Amino acid sequence: MRRALPPVLSRLWALMRPYRGWMAGGAALALLAALAAIGLMAVSGWFIAVMALAGASGAAINYFTPAAAIRAFAILRSGARYGERVVTHEATLRALAGLRGWLFRRLIPLAPARLSALRSGELFARLRADIDVLEHFYLAVLVPASVALLSIATALVLTAIALPAAALALLLGTLLAAVVLPLWIERRAARDSQQTVLDAAALRGLLLDALRGHSELLAWGGVAAHNARLESLAARLDVRRTRLDQLQAVGGALAGLFAQLTLLAVLVLGLAAVHGGALAPPELVMLALLTLALFEAITPLAEALAQWRATTLAGQRVFDLADTPPVFIEPAPGTSLPQRCDIEFDNARLRYAPHLPWALDGVDLVLAAGARVAVVGASGAGKSSLLAALLKFYPLQQGRVLFGGEPVAGLPGDELRRRIAVIAQQTTLFDLSLLDNLLLAAPDASAGQIERAVSLAQLEAFVASLPQGYDTVLGEGGARVSGGEARRIVIARALLQDAPVLVLDEPTEGLDARTARDLYTALDAAGRGRTLLLITHRLSGLERLVDEVVVMEAGRIRTRTPAREYLAGERRR
Amino acid sequence: MRRGDPSAGEWLRRQARQLRAPLARSGLLTVLQALALVAQAWLLSAILTAAVIAHAPLARLWPQWLALLVLAPLRLGLGMGARRTAFRAAQRLGASLRAGVLRGAQALGPYGLRAQASGDLITRVVDGIDAVLAYFARYLPQAAAAALVPPVLGAFVFPADWLSGLILLLTAPLIPLFMMLVGKAAAQASERRYGQLRRLGAAFIEALGGLVTLRQLGAAADFAERLDGESEEYRALTMQVLRVAFLSALVLEFFATVSIAVVAVLIGFRLLWGELALRAGLFVLLLAPEFYLPLRALGGLRHTRMDALAAAQELLALEATPLEAAAPPHAARVPREAAPQIRFERVGYAHGGRAAALSECSFTAAARAVTALVGASGAGKTTLLSVLLGFAAPYTGHVWIDGVELCELDVAQWRARIAWVPQQGHVFEGSVRDNLLLAAPGADAAALRRAAERSGLSAVLERLPHGWETPLGERGLGLSGGELQRLALARALLREQARVWLLDEPTAHLDSAAAQAVEAVIRAAAETRTVLLVAHRLSAVRAADRVVVLGAGRVIEQGPPLELAGARGVYAELLQAEQS
Repeated sequence: MRRALPPVLSRLWALMRPYRGWMAGGAALALLAALAAIGLMAVSGWFIAVMALAGASGAAINYFTPAAAIRAFAILRSGARYGERVVTHEATLRALAGLRGWLFRRLIPLAPARLSALRSGELFARLRADIDVLEHFYLAVLVPASVALLSIATALVLTAIALPAAALALLLGTLLAAVVLPLWIERRAARDSQQTVLDAAALRGLLLDALRGHSELLAWGGVAAHNARLESLAARLDVRRTRLDQLQAVGGALAGLFAQLTLLAVLVLGLAAVHGGALAPPELVMLALLTLALFEAITPLAEALAQWRATTLAGQRVFDLADTPPVFIEPAPGTSLPQRCDIEFDNARLRYAPHLPWALDGVDLVLAAGARVAVVGASGAGKSSLLAALLKFYPLQQGRVLFGGEPVAGLPGDELRRRIAVIAQQTTLFDLSLLDNLLLAAPDASAGQIERAVSLAQLEAFVASLPQGYDTVLGEGGARVSGGEARRIVIARALLQDAPVLVLDEPTEGLDARTARDLYTALDAAGRGRTLLLITHRLSGLERLVDEVVVMEAGRIRTRTPAREYLAGERRR
Repeated sequence: MRRGDPSAGEWLRRQARQLRAPLARSGLLTVLQALALVAQAWLLSAILTAAVIAHAPLARLWPQWLALLVLAPLRLGLGMGARRTAFRAAQRLGASLRAGVLRGAQALGPYGLRAQASGDLITRVVDGIDAVLAYFARYLPQAAAAALVPPVLGAFVFPADWLSGLILLLTAPLIPLFMMLVGKAAAQASERRYGQLRRLGAAFIEALGGLVTLRQLGAAADFAERLDGESEEYRALTMQVLRVAFLSALVLEFFATVSIAVVAVLIGFRLLWGELALRAGLFVLLLAPEFYLPLRALGGLRHTRMDALAAAQELLALEATPLEAAAPPHAARVPREAAPQIRFERVGYAHGGRAAALSECSFTAAARAVTALVGASGAGKTTLLSVLLGFAAPYTGHVWIDGVELCELDVAQWRARIAWVPQQGHVFEGSVRDNLLLAAPGADAAALRRAAERSGLSAVLERLPHGWETPLGERGLGLSGGELQRLALARALLREQARVWLLDEPTAHLDSAAAQAVEAVIRAAAETRTVLLVAHRLSAVRAADRVVVLGAGRVIEQGPPLELAGARGVYAELLQAEQS
């Protein structure tokens, strides 16, 4: 972990390239504001001391310049502070939005093969919370650290000109407050800081279970137990957060203590110098006030570093996820798909993990363009794995899948999948309008095409029954429509895709017999001129749709027979 | 939107009332800290004056120097104490609020929850509470400091130099005034920003859940752009809020800084004219920035308050959502142990202003028998089970459980009698074992094995890398539809003592061999139980004792399956459709 930290930061820095202008601008304005604040106090102190001495001695004095400088510093500080706040936040928000989009795009090619091990709650936590934590990197660390360092350098130079010994005290004090203390705080906070990120992610996961699994928990009387689990985790998180806040308070207090001690040292040295005539009295006042003002710019650093581990951990998690290699390397852009759309499995072997049995164990299967074939078999026989291999979602360990005569591994995945419309067991509807859900498959579809797809999927009556028609929002995961309606929307969406290959993975699951029969009739019409692959374990009505039946068993093709013959054989049994 | 504000503010105030005592303690420590600060300024100005005017040597100033040395840790300790007191109290309040909000969300009931995007709810519960917490832990103590510290410091500045005191006194009230003026516009923008943050959260969680579908459709890249749009809108709205918030900070900053400059310059001239002692001048100059500091810090936390108000609005909305399943007062009758007879008498149910999902449903599910519910999708089969589970309440008509009205039963006791296989079971975070044990926490290894055996889950377990201990994700990673179905079945079977079985398509996603095995299990179980079985496939229904055919929320026909098959009704028609 420790060794992995620097790369995290340097990669983060590299990713922030487009926003560096904003970031640098924000830091510059912050520095300007800090220096103006220091200047204001230092000059004010010097000014009133000089004025007091002049008043006492009756000497003439040019008071216009310092008085003007004081006013100028005051205005500069206010303006720079406003500019700093606007620019730094603009920079962060832009960087975060960019980072979020970047990560999401990195995740796309990982689904489903690489993401199946992660819960979407966990993914969500990374995508949003982790990236939000990264905000801290710039706003609370990068900016204050650069401001502190440059302010210290400026103050040291000014102090060294007036009194070198005081500069040494200042160097020591600022070193303690700006370097040693933040590093110490970082180490002390490391565990809690890291664990808060993990616990917060776990808490979101538990919440997701509590809300999505609420019916089950209710039915089993498990609500109280689950809530108790949730609350104990939340309580643990609260304890850590309290400890962190305390540590931050300690950091702030110690920084203040170093400020006071430095001031006292400067006073001791300054008083001696004034007494010895090495320092003009007003300059002592200036040095004292400069010291106090300088530490105001340093103090936030110690508090900020308490969150350091959380930041690097968040970065680490984001990059770990983003760096997961996709199972397929996409071919160079511009690689085109063959015109033909026949499909061939050539001794295809696939398994999902080395310890699992072969899902496809040497499958040889040719589907000519326009063929209509059903694949039947027990659950776990490998029917759905055929589809996973064809869609280029999972790689074969052996053999090939050919589309139009070319191995799918070398074809552009998105193009390939646009040629294969799928009605699958688990297809998501999105919390968009019905129309937007349909248009996902074909953004440019005309009204006529939509009507046709809807009527083929027997959705017309349903659409007509909706008060808002196509504009009805379906709810998260299509929560506002029934299972059967959802299935038909998915079917309409697939039909709208207008692909030469149509794959139906248990299309009638969840539908009653009559609806299923009507659907087969409709699919029969819709499937004309397309290659049709029907994956099912329900035999009734098969012959309406397909010409041949392929039987799979334990990852292999057992038989391939004309549909009528097969069904006749089944009935005899 | 604005009209909602007073209630959100009122809600926040009501919550904050619980913090009165710790805030008072924190305020007291803050005042003590301010007094220590005054002493520090007084000592420092004394040292500097002695050095500048009297050229005093260090030796004569040791006492003051040492006093400063003692004061420094004292003051910082007081500050830390104030912060800690406030933070701890706020943390405690936040925890109780979080628990309350979760309860509120759960009180929506299964139907109400399904209508809510869960990403959105989680954003409300986690981020909303965090926003309110920040208000309690940071804003309120700072507000107390802003109210307490300036008067304390002012009380010392006035005797030292009345003119500077007057400047401070006149400028101080301007700051909150301007803050209020600017803040009104900002509050509205903040509300919108919060709404957008929720939308963003919901959109992301959904996109991730549906990533495979998006890829299948080749729509992932388009969807990414859609998310970019949402992100961009969030940025724009946030900046809108922040710009206004920062503007109020600018006003503050400007007044504070310019006042310090004016104080410094005026002090300078009066020193020149001999109207003021240097010591008093320095003392005032040191205190002037501290006078404004709490007010400025409060301005910097302004958006904390706005975020909290917006979050409170959302939390309030959750509180105000009508609760679906309010238990009637007399619901305490304990159901019998044995398999009950369940009689529906003209039962109706409609959810949230939608068309009735059930109306005038009457039928009887006999004890020790299988009653099958069939009908087109959307006919109300699942809703009937929901009524029995107490999810769909209040219903109209009567549901008699052994002659006792369902809503008069103790709902927890009643549910404890039920084994339920939902249509799409949720897979919880945890291992296969954890997922099963959720249904029956006390089950032992033997019971687990039995349930796995009878549901066909054992075959799945053999395949899994870590068997019972294999961790599962929310969609049941790596498990096919059929395997998930077996998991749900096993979970229900684990409740061996349950005498009511509610099975919503238990054989969906199963091949015929597996389905037949499950049907045999159901048959055997029915000898001592009341089984209600929702089925699409009529083959699953043949073995039922009674079939109830539903259509559009009504009972169309009912009777033994053979009888119905012979009649020329809907069932016969369905049967023919399936066999053809």
